[in-house]
Amino acid sequence: MARKPKARVPTLSRRPQGSQQSLTPRRWRLKLVIGGAVLAIALGVGGLVRWLPQRDVSPSRQGTVEKHYTRGTAGAAVVIKEFSDYT
Amino acid sequence: MQQFEGKVQLVLYPIAFRPKGEEVAQAAWCAGEQGKFWEFHDMLFRRWGLWNNLDAPLQRLLDFARDLNLDVTALKSCVESERMQSRVEADRAYAQQLQVNSTPTLFINANRVVGVQGEGDLVRLIRQELDRVQRPGQ
Repeated sequence: MARKPKARVPTLSRRPQGSQQSLTPRRWRLKLVIGGAVLAIALGVGGLVRWLPQRDVSPSRQGTVEKHYTRGTAGAAVVIKEFSDYT
Repeated sequence: MQQFEGKVQLVLYPIAFRPKGEEVAQAAWCAGEQGKFWEFHDMLFRRWGLWNNLDAPLQRLLDFARDLNLDVTALKSCVESERMQSRVEADRAYAQQLQVNSTPTLFINANRVVGVQGEGDLVRLIRQELDRVQRPGQ
């Protein structure tokens, strides 16, 4: 007995639809990652700009200003420079 | 700080970030002309509460100067002539060069110390630096 050919029922392919649905969150995720990276870089650069000048300075790079009032021994192993505002 | 005698030198930079501070810093320099910079400096801090709130503290500072047996007329004339202005400006420029944005700021050799420190902390920092520079092979 000849088999009756199975009628093909047109079905909606779900895959393309599914990938389209997940595309939007993926784009957002990418945007978030890029945005986060940009923000992190900006904060890092800002922090460096603020922090770098505040770092230690070797005495040879400090330079000097002539004639100042001092206490203690000239040529001592440790020189303390004090910047004070009277007000 | 007497425990570090012979090992430590303090160099003072009176910084004036505010206009009123300029006159006071100049007065300190002028007292120095009469050989009493440190006495005047110490007195400014000791009696800080007595002059700091005044808009024009010069007269009060002159009263203090009298207590230190300074020539008050000479001191007043020195401040009013503003001949110490260049020194105050030089110190301010130096502070800016070293990125000193607030006071007190100390440099213990290379080490920057910002803000008020307790005596114990300062002693510890100085000891650390002395140990470092006096270590053999350094």
